[in-house]
Amino acid sequence: MTILLRGIIIVLFNITIAILWFMVLHVFTYSDSIDGILRVSTTTSLYATGLLEKLADEFRKYYPNVVIQFIAVGSGRALELAAKGDIDMVLVHAPQLEREYINRGILIDGSIIAYNYFVIVGPGDDPAGIRGLSNPVSAFKRIYMAGVMGKALFISRGDNSGTHVRELSLWRKAKLNPRGQEWYIESGTGMAKTLLIANEKRAYTLSDVGTFLKLKCEGVLGELEILVSGGVDLINIYSAYIVNPQEYNVNYKLAKLFLEFITSNEGQKIISLYGKSEFGQPLFYPAKGKEVELRRYWKKLAEEV
Amino acid sequence: MSATILALTWSIPLSIRMASMKHRVKSVIISVFNALLGLPTVLVGLLLYLIFSRSGPLGFLKLLYTPQIIVIGQAILITPLLVSLMYEVFTKALAEYWELALSLGASRGQAYKTVIREVSGDILTISLIGFSRAIGELGVALIVGGNIKGYTRVLTTAIALEVEKGEFNVAMILGLLLFIIVLSVILSIRFIKRGTQ
Repeated sequence: MTILLRGIIIVLFNITIAILWFMVLHVFTYSDSIDGILRVSTTTSLYATGLLEKLADEFRKYYPNVVIQFIAVGSGRALELAAKGDIDMVLVHAPQLEREYINRGILIDGSIIAYNYFVIVGPGDDPAGIRGLSNPVSAFKRIYMAGVMGKALFISRGDNSGTHVRELSLWRKAKLNPRGQEWYIESGTGMAKTLLIANEKRAYTLSDVGTFLKLKCEGVLGELEILVSGGVDLINIYSAYIVNPQEYNVNYKLAKLFLEFITSNEGQKIISLYGKSEFGQPLFYPAKGKEVELRRYWKKLAEEV
Repeated sequence: MSATILALTWSIPLSIRMASMKHRVKSVIISVFNALLGLPTVLVGLLLYLIFSRSGPLGFLKLLYTPQIIVIGQAILITPLLVSLMYEVFTKALAEYWELALSLGASRGQAYKTVIREVSGDILTISLIGFSRAIGELGVALIVGGNIKGYTRVLTTAIALEVEKGEFNVAMILGLLLFIIVLSVILSIRFIKRGTQ
């Protein structure tokens, strides 16, 4: 028994040494820049397009000592990270979820920073016949019919992201529930992988226009085309929030500076120009000048059940 | 690399102690470690996230989303692997050399040294296995590291991001890089080992 005891003591001793060592390392690496770190959890669709790194680079021209760290996850998890107090700021596009976190007092200083549109994409031969429809709800109804008849597949994100939340609300508006049906596939991954699956299976899916255009330009989505786009029913609103400094230990000053930069004329100009030369059209539209209108749409989306 | 070293600091004494135990406890412990081998990396990542989150029990350390936490997480991840493999080595070595050294009049400390010397080659090989597992894992690095550019972005999380962005070519190049790194480490250790023998 003494051998066992001594073994345990040695192991505990080693663990303690290791932890101490890492605390020393930690303090060492942090000591010179501790005021300047801003942690932002963000939706993958904003990050994967490269827009955020661009904004951060421009911001750092004014504040060279600032470090902005982006943690790119789905909107659902991005908000949950805020609720756990692990980040200073969130950039998301899921009004229904956002409202819940605002009501819980976790998020403050909300501002709409940009918008674009969701698109319904699908195989070029369009077995459900939705091409050019102006109403996404009737497009979903047709996909449902085609799915039941075995002529079409639909890929859902299934990950509680902003896109997934919107897709579910479109199904609810169509008064249909496709979950559990054979033709309705939940991928459980990010937008890019979901689009790749849709491409392989020649299926329909709902995507933000930015990710779709980016992948289309890479040439990996040969089968898919935009079939339904535009219209206020498919508007996709990106908002920024700061985590409530009264509840959590947040670098509020820095978060506020970055938020002000994004919504400033300069930040909005960066957003409006981003991707224009590369993809032929901008990936995002700036919110500046349309705040009232966007706020109204946001409210409408947030209150949908 | 540092994850492997860190894991070794507690895995070696632990497996020595386990090898020298003679109780039924031992078989229980080794079964537990063997079972832990199958733990998915994302689950280890999630557990660590909940522990080191600011609202978690060790949140005050502010280790979340730092390179250090990736090292700790990977060290914990490969510990069952190291212990399970080293336990076998030490059991054999203790049976063969421990009694022999003691009977030749060596002190306990000297006897330990003899055993360690005899098994050092095996430990090196096992460490390499641990290293390969740590450098190639994604779940822990992604969840507790956060894949922050220039800070906690490691090769595996960079590959995941490039796939997410649809930049398959970049992802393939990074994958090749990862393979070359692991290969060169393993080859150089092999080389050193041959040199010392």
